Amino acid sequence: MTSRPATAAELAGMIRDAHDRRTRLRVVARGTWQGCTASVAPDAAVLDVSGLSGILEYVPGDLTLTARAGTTVAEVDAATRAHGQWCPLLPWGGDEGTLGATFATATHGPCSASFGAPRDLAIGMEFVDGTGALIRAGGRVVKNVAGFDLTRLLVGSWGTLGVITEVSVRLRARPAVDETWSVAIDAGGGARARLEEFRRGPLAPLAIEEFETGTLVRLGGNAAFVAASREIVMTLGAADPRDTGIWTRLRQSDPKPRGPLASSALADPLSTRVKKQFDPRHILNPGIMGEAYA
Amino acid sequence: MPHLSDELSGIVGARHVLQRATELLVYESDALPGYHKRPRLAVFPGTGDEVIAVVRALHRARVAFVPRGAGTGLSGGALADDVVLIGLQRMRKIISVDPAARSAVVEPGVVNTSLTKAATPFGLHYAPDPSSQTACTIGGNVAENAGGPHCLKYGVTLNHVLAASIVLPGGDVVRLERPGENDTAYDLLGAYVGSEGCFGVTLDVTVRLTPNPEAIRTMLADFTSVDDAARATSAIVAAGILPAALELMDHGTIEAVESSIYAAGYPRDAAAVLLIEVDGALAGLDDDVSAVQRICRECGARDIRTASDAGERARLWQGRKKAFGAMGRVAPHLAVQDAVVPRTKLAPILARIAEIGARHRIHVCNVFHAGDGNLHPNVPYNGNDPDEAARVHAAMREIMELCIAEGGTITGEHGVGLDKIGYMERLFPGESLDAMCRLRDAFDPERRANPGKVVPSHRCREWLAAPGAHT
Repeated sequence: MTSRPATAAELAGMIRDAHDRRTRLRVVARGTWQGCTASVAPDAAVLDVSGLSGILEYVPGDLTLTARAGTTVAEVDAATRAHGQWCPLLPWGGDEGTLGATFATATHGPCSASFGAPRDLAIGMEFVDGTGALIRAGGRVVKNVAGFDLTRLLVGSWGTLGVITEVSVRLRARPAVDETWSVAIDAGGGARARLEEFRRGPLAPLAIEEFETGTLVRLGGNAAFVAASREIVMTLGAADPRDTGIWTRLRQSDPKPRGPLASSALADPLSTRVKKQFDPRHILNPGIMGEAYA
Repeated sequence: MPHLSDELSGIVGARHVLQRATELLVYESDALPGYHKRPRLAVFPGTGDEVIAVVRALHRARVAFVPRGAGTGLSGGALADDVVLIGLQRMRKIISVDPAARSAVVEPGVVNTSLTKAATPFGLHYAPDPSSQTACTIGGNVAENAGGPHCLKYGVTLNHVLAASIVLPGGDVVRLERPGENDTAYDLLGAYVGSEGCFGVTLDVTVRLTPNPEAIRTMLADFTSVDDAARATSAIVAAGILPAALELMDHGTIEAVESSIYAAGYPRDAAAVLLIEVDGALAGLDDDVSAVQRICRECGARDIRTASDAGERARLWQGRKKAFGAMGRVAPHLAVQDAVVPRTKLAPILARIAEIGARHRIHVCNVFHAGDGNLHPNVPYNGNDPDEAARVHAAMREIMELCIAEGGTITGEHGVGLDKIGYMERLFPGESLDAMCRLRDAFDPERRANPGKVVPSHRCREWLAAPGAHT
C-alpha cells in the first residue's frame, strides 16, 4: 500500500491516522537511500513524499532558500546556479535524491570539510512527527537561536522522529574559479606531507579525494587565490586538468552507504526517550536505526 | 532548606555555598538590565565530580536549579527565581589543547579569550567571539549557542563544538558527540547546544580550534546615511564576498563610543559606519578588499579607512566590542534587542525602526552584525522615569513585531531566556512550542533545569501534571 500526499497538511493527516491505527510507515521519496542502513519492518506501508516538491522561496540577495522536502538537489542546484550561487551540500549519491532525504540522512559530500555538513547548512525545517503534529523549527534567516533546536534534532534522524516536509538552507556564492586536477602524487620528495599541509593550510582546496589511480583535487576561490593554490598542486606530482563534472559523476557512482549497523543507534536511554517523545508508537521507519521493533 | 544546604556544603565545602541575602545580591541579575531575581541559594562546585554530586543531591531533593557561567548573558537566562543557582566559574581548567587535531577540551567555566590565549602559541584560536568574550565562559557560550562578529564567516558556537559531557538533571552523565560522516545517530549535541541551561549542566566541552588567518584587512567605511550603509551591506553579500565580519554602527552608537574611554576614532559626523574585515590567505585577499571598497563607494561611502597595523585594528574593534558598555554612560538603563531579519530587508527595516523610535521619542542606537542581518537596536533610557520606560517598552515591542512580520526571528545569539519568552508564541505555532517542550522532557522529564525559561510553560502539554515542575 502506498500513500502519496500532495501537501504537508495531507501528510500530517495520514500520519495522525497511522498513529491512531498503529500502522507502520516506510518513508520514501526518490528511493535513492533504500538499503543504506538497517532495513525497515517489511510490513510497513509506503509513505511516498515525492509529491511535496518545489522551491517555495529563493531571494538570492539573502543567500537562503526554502523548498519542499521532495525537491531534488538537482532542482535546487539549477535554480541557484542561475544566480552564481549553490547549496554546497554536493552529497554522495548524486543530485537526483531529494533535499529532505539529504538532511534526514545527514549525507555528507566531498566538499563538506570546506562548506559544512547538512547540520551546518540547515536553518529551518517543517516536519510531521509520529503523532501527526505539523511542526515548524528554526526559520528562514541565517542566524537564529529562538527556542530549542528541533532542526538539528531532525537532521540525520532518518525519518524516525518526523517526516521532513520543508527545508530552509543557507547558500553560498559559487567560487569565481572552480577547477579540478587529477594528480599522481609523487612517491618521494615529501609530496605526501605537502598534500597534508595543503589540506590544512590557508590555500586549502574545496575537496580532495584519493583513489588508487590518483588524487582528485578541487580548487575554488577568486582568480589570485586559485592561482596560488594551483602552484602548490603542481609541486605534488604530475597533474592533469579535469572538467568539474567529474565530481557529479563521482558522487553518483559512489553513494557511500553507511550500514549495516552493528548495533541499534537508539540503544542509549536519552535517544530512546527522544524517540518516544516524537514517535511514541514507533511507526516511522521502524528498524532503520537498527533498533528492535515488536 | 537547611538540610539541602548542609548536603551541598558537604560536597563543595561550606565556603562555596552562599545563602545570605547580602552574599546572593551579586547573583540577582545577569547582564540584562532591569531584571532581578533572588536565588534560594548558590552553590559553586570546583570539579566535574562535584557538579555531578550537586545535581544528584538536587535530584534527590526534587529541587529546581539554574546553571550559570559568568552571568554575561543578555536575555535573563541565568536568573534564578527562588531556585538553586549552580555557578560554574570555578571550573576554569583548560584540560588539553591538541594542535594536530585542532581541538581543545575545556571545563565550562573557562573564559572565551583564555581559550584563544592558550591556543595562540599553536597559531590557532577559538572562533566564536561574543562581545563579552573577555568575561563570558565557554559553558555559557554552549548554553546560548553564542555568536559574535566573526560568526559571519566562521559560524556560531554550534559549528565549533565537537563533543560535550553533561550531567542530566536526573543525575545521569551523558557524552554527546557531533555525528561524523559515517555515523548514524541522533544529533543530541546539536540539540543540546543552545538549550539555555534547560537540558542539563555541562561538565566539559571539546571545541574546534581555527587556524589564524594568514592575513587580515580591516576597513572602516563612513556613510552619510544609514540607508546607504545597509545597501552596501546587502551589495557586498550579494557580490559573493564573505567577509570575516561586517558590522554596522549608527550615529547614536558612534557618539556613545566616541564619548567613552573606548573611543576608536570613528567619524563623529557620520550617520553610520561599516566595520568590515576580510581575512584568509594573502593570495587573492586584496582583490576582495578592492571589491568591498568599490561597492562601498558605489553605495555612497564618503571615506574608507584601512587599518594600517594591528594596533589600529584593535582600536577599531574595541569601539565595536565595547559599544554596549559605552551606552551605559548615556543613561542608567539599556534595552537590548537581538532580532534577525533577511539581509535584503535591512535598509527598509532600519528606516522603520528609526520611525518607531521617533514616534515614541526614544533614542535607538543601532550596533549590529549587518552581514548576518542580526540587529541590535538598543535603547539607553532612564528606567526610573515610568513614562520613558513605558515608551521604550512599547517601541521595543513594535520593533520586534516588525522583525517577525518581515520574516525574521526574535533572537540571533542572545537566547530567549526570560526576556523574549513573551514573543515565542508570536514566532512559533502551538504545536512547535509543544514539540520543543517534548525535546526538553527527554533531557529533563521533571522540568527542574532552568524552569520558566525559553518556552512558555502553558504551551507544554501536561505541564501542570508534571512531577516536580515547581519545588
